Amino acid sequence: MFFLTYLRHELRRRMRQAILIAVGLAVGIGLVVTVIAASAGVENAQNSVLHALYGIGTDITVTQAPSPGSHTGGAFSPGSTTQQVDELLNGQLSPLNASAVAAISRLRHVAAAAGGLALTDTKLTIPSAGSLGPGGQPPTNLPAPTSFTVDGVDLAHLGLGPFGSGELKAGRTFAASDRISNVAVVDSNYAMANKVTVGSTITIAQTRFTIIGIVQQPQGGGSTDVYITLARAQALGMGLGVSNLRNQVNMIYVAAASASDVPTVQAEIAKLLPSATVTTSSSLASAVSGSLASAASLISDFGRWLAIAVLMAAFAVASLLTMAAVARRVREFGTLKALGWRSRRIIAQVMAESCVVGIVGAVLGIALGFGGVALVDAVAPPLSATVAQNPGSAPAQDTLFNGSSVQHLQAPGSTSTVIVHLVAPITANALVLAVTLAIAGALIAGAFGSWRAARLRPAEALSQVA
Amino acid sequence: MYTLTSVTRTYQKGSHTVSALQGVDLVIEDGEWLAVQGRTGSGKTTLLQILGGLDRPSTGTVNFDGQDLAVLSETRLTEFRADFVGFVFQTFNLLPTLSAVENVEAALVPRRVSSALRRARATQALEVVGLSDRAQHLPSELSGGQQQRVGIARALVKEPKVLLADEPTGNLDGDTRDEIIALLERLWHAHRFTLVLVTHDPSLAGRAQHVGIMSDGKLAVGQGARDR
Repeated sequence: MFFLTYLRHELRRRMRQAILIAVGLAVGIGLVVTVIAASAGVENAQNSVLHALYGIGTDITVTQAPSPGSHTGGAFSPGSTTQQVDELLNGQLSPLNASAVAAISRLRHVAAAAGGLALTDTKLTIPSAGSLGPGGQPPTNLPAPTSFTVDGVDLAHLGLGPFGSGELKAGRTFAASDRISNVAVVDSNYAMANKVTVGSTITIAQTRFTIIGIVQQPQGGGSTDVYITLARAQALGMGLGVSNLRNQVNMIYVAAASASDVPTVQAEIAKLLPSATVTTSSSLASAVSGSLASAASLISDFGRWLAIAVLMAAFAVASLLTMAAVARRVREFGTLKALGWRSRRIIAQVMAESCVVGIVGAVLGIALGFGGVALVDAVAPPLSATVAQNPGSAPAQDTLFNGSSVQHLQAPGSTSTVIVHLVAPITANALVLAVTLAIAGALIAGAFGSWRAARLRPAEALSQVA
Repeated sequence: MYTLTSVTRTYQKGSHTVSALQGVDLVIEDGEWLAVQGRTGSGKTTLLQILGGLDRPSTGTVNFDGQDLAVLSETRLTEFRADFVGFVFQTFNLLPTLSAVENVEAALVPRRVSSALRRARATQALEVVGLSDRAQHLPSELSGGQQQRVGIARALVKEPKVLLADEPTGNLDGDTRDEIIALLERLWHAHRFTLVLVTHDPSLAGRAQHVGIMSDGKLAVGQGARDR
């Protein structure tokens, strides 16, 4: 076909210029692909951080902050002997009646609702009165208090809440028959730090629990060290002025029927529980701080505009080079018009040449994009993400010796920081966008050149010096 | 075939108005060989371009077989050139990236001829001008005379009614010039197309049936050395 013959010969003659235009487009496209991938990677990292805390299937969390000035925990007076204290405490959030879970699950547009208890197990040693120093100072060799977080998990809805995001690495997960059993599933970081495995035992609120499984949360882990059944957490936990937490929860995880129902469900829950804090995943995303948030901002602001600027520069250079090439071929196009070629046939030739250059630019750009993404994955430093441990929560507990007693008090700023490693994924949509942009850029360049070719008057074109 | 009536062509060059043609009246019969002679800048090429539909007159009519080329649309003029006119240029104007046979084929592309027939006719046209052994050569691999032969083959492959040659030997040496003119003459005899040849060389012009002398945009036509 003459069209293709002419096209092939022309591109071969102007190969250097064609490659230059293609490379220019490729740089712009490669940058766009890299920025899109990095942006997606940051978004994935943010989502996984939130999922680790609140669960993948959870759209809405419901909590209630304690009233100002309240605190949990006990005061212990030193006795004649050393005392070992092991308590499972609800120190961060006000309890909610478990019936609220059922009420929420009956709301329209709610697919499922599950209650949970986010608790802390604290172990400390109360010295004997005789070992206290002057002014009631504790002995210097007194072991430091230790604590770890414990989540009571609703076995009817294992997919909701942070437990649902964990990937089972060893052992098994909870079964319905475990409801009142002293079994636990631990986080992989906790297992490594405390050198425990499946089959090991740990003590929670002076009760021995057998580890049946180990889970790993995405992106460095969430805030929970140990998961037990909700029933056992309610039986062993202590709250404000109460020795157990029966029929109580302090977190409600809600899944909406669809993403578009989330705002409606949020509003309905707020009406049902006016004093509760009702938060969605998107509102929590804005609460993420740390270098992950900074990276997101950098990519969104600087990265995006840089990619757009480079792309526009590539388009401009491609257009100028194409117009220059057409200018050099003025006499040639005049000859073709003299032979009886219509303007649109000449335009089709110019556009086809540009299209081929665009396709080459797209291929090179995608290759550059993959290279850029590999570079990002290789050199990007670990990023930190800090987020409120529980929205609307009170501060975490602290332990204070005041000479004659030991009190659990509240300390400010309960947050969770996780370290994430950025992995920038290249999606099919990004590749399609890259190809579209490259060809569009080349066609824009071709259009400028074609416009010039179409306007040629044959006599004028033939009078040009070759 | 052609009847030109009071044709003028003026155009602006900076602040000056240039009159390339001034009130040209001309009749060209079917199959006639007209040579147009004149000094550089006398308007010869402008006249040729108007005859070929490459340019439009500022005033006057250019009647070709009953239709006024001066009022045709750009599309119709393009069709006119594709169907009826062959051009031979002083500088050959071959497409540099195409071979000799592909250059000749380019003239048949607007005629929507099948690729096989197009190739066959182009090959035959090159044979007629004695270049069948150079069909696959690029213009850069051909001598000036050979390039002009390709130009002539390209002009004649579509069997035009009119062949317009603008200084066809202007870039050639003496012997080659004679070869090309002899070739044109032979082909004109064989195919009896209307030939309008522009030249500044009186000896070439004298070989035509009629000779028009262009001077400052005005044309005067006399009898040439050849009888009809």
